[in-house]
Amino acid sequence: MSREIAQGIHWIQELGPARTEIGESLLRRGAPWFDRDRTVHVPQNAFLVVGNESLLFDTLSPLGSDQIIEELESILGDRPLDYLVVSHPDVPHAGNTARILRRYPEARLVAPREPATHELYHLEDSLRVGVGDYLDLGGPLIQFHEATFLDAALSVWMSEETTGTLFPVDWLGFPLLDGEGLSFMDEVVDPETPDDELVDRLYEFHARVMFWFQYADVEKMKAETDMVLMRLHPLIIAPSHGPVIRREPQRLIQLMKGVVERVHNTGRVGVL
Amino acid sequence: MADPAVELSGDVSWIAEAFPLPDGRFEHVSVYLVEAPAGSILIDSGSFYHRERLRRRITQATAGRGIGAMILSHSDYPHSGNVPDFRRLWGDFEIVASCADAAAQGLPYARRSRIGGSLDVLGRTFRFLDPPLADRSHTSWIYDEASRVMFAADGFGIYHAEGETGFTSRDYAAGISEEAIHDFHKDTIVWLRYVDPALLMDALRAMFDAHPVSWVAPIHGAPIAAEDLDDYLEKLERSVVAVSEGYTVH
Ligand SMILES: [Fe+2]
Ligand SMILES: [Fe+2]
Repeated sequence: MSREIAQGIHWIQELGPARTEIGESLLRRGAPWFDRDRTVHVPQNAFLVVGNESLLFDTLSPLGSDQIIEELESILGDRPLDYLVVSHPDVPHAGNTARILRRYPEARLVAPREPATHELYHLEDSLRVGVGDYLDLGGPLIQFHEATFLDAALSVWMSEETTGTLFPVDWLGFPLLDGEGLSFMDEVVDPETPDDELVDRLYEFHARVMFWFQYADVEKMKAETDMVLMRLHPLIIAPSHGPVIRREPQRLIQLMKGVVERVHNTGRVGVL
Repeated sequence: MADPAVELSGDVSWIAEAFPLPDGRFEHVSVYLVEAPAGSILIDSGSFYHRERLRRRITQATAGRGIGAMILSHSDYPHSGNVPDFRRLWGDFEIVASCADAAAQGLPYARRSRIGGSLDVLGRTFRFLDPPLADRSHTSWIYDEASRVMFAADGFGIYHAEGETGFTSRDYAAGISEEAIHDFHKDTIVWLRYVDPALLMDALRAMFDAHPVSWVAPIHGAPIAAEDLDDYLEKLERSVVAVSEGYTVH
């Protein structure tokens, strides 16, 4: 099952296993959006952009190996896949690259340009992209960006310019509860939800994945957050580990300042 | 004997491999071998780029026995890419990994190590520490209690010149170069451009106070002997300050 989030952009989601360790952490600190009858999940998203040509952004994790092939076949039918973009060669994002290229041998593998360690990741035969590069899919227009807030160095962010959709990979991850799969942010949380509660959910993710916020200069991070908003001004945000955001994307980005501040003050909550 | 392992302490050795960078410099992508009471433990798997060499060198270093367990600092291809191949070669030996969801990392059979905890592996005790210098969430540093070697994953790397593959800090008369430390960390741990250097350096120094080391053993650099650690840390501190001051938000 997939969902079209904007013209030609298909959202494929692997909900992932129940994360009991995260659930326990939420109960311990009394997170207002969680109770013990629910299960918590860290989703893994992939996005298929279809115009005259098609492009897949990330591959799901090894647990989603059959799923990604089925979804691609169902959306593409007998059309080819033209590009496979690996945001960064982290197993949950890129682990099905070889299988997808076996199924779609004509697809061009696309990888971040820097640093030049591609042979350590089986990315030596890739098209290298970085800041300012475009791919015209005939309809959709893909632009590549610096991965501003990231884990692995070999990373790239992407946008689709005709719809204003930004794909910020690990940034803006947001844990889901059972039943919240493949739902937009405004379907997961009421737009009236107070900022504190949204920050708390974002915190649970970033205090694991972006543990380094604890060592960051908070004011510099806030300035960079403003810069991302100004430079990329997304209308839709499609992160790799949370719901797609189609309403008030600026609000969620602004809330990340509070997330950085909180991780900085508390330290990490765990790993992912 | 070609490419001998470098002995750090009596039962910990370094199998140094290097990857050539486009600018003519090299980056170590290594593994370490720990001789435990019940067999040989490999720290990380090395890269598939060096697979054939590593197979041969590990076989030689273990007198043909191969490895009995592997501890991964994190599941990133240059660190974990040889797991399936080495398990086919040397049997389904135990894999210890720090990720919270090993199956999503492609390691469904791994035993979980927990940051802040310790585990007995083949009769030897290892502590798993929260790494201040890392990129991936689930990275852990691995402290071998018996030898006091700190395996530091992606932290404490350097770039090196041709001919220096296999050099430890003791082979550099003037100490490891600050430029090599700076350039590696700037390129590899990208978030350092946002770092508050004092916070990071305090965390690192507190970790070494709590866990005195004989060696710091990076995967991407030259092992740093205890007597050279202060020198390295001073150069690292200046490097981190330079990376953070060198980046302005614009
Ligand atoms: Fe991720
Ligand atoms: Fe690494």
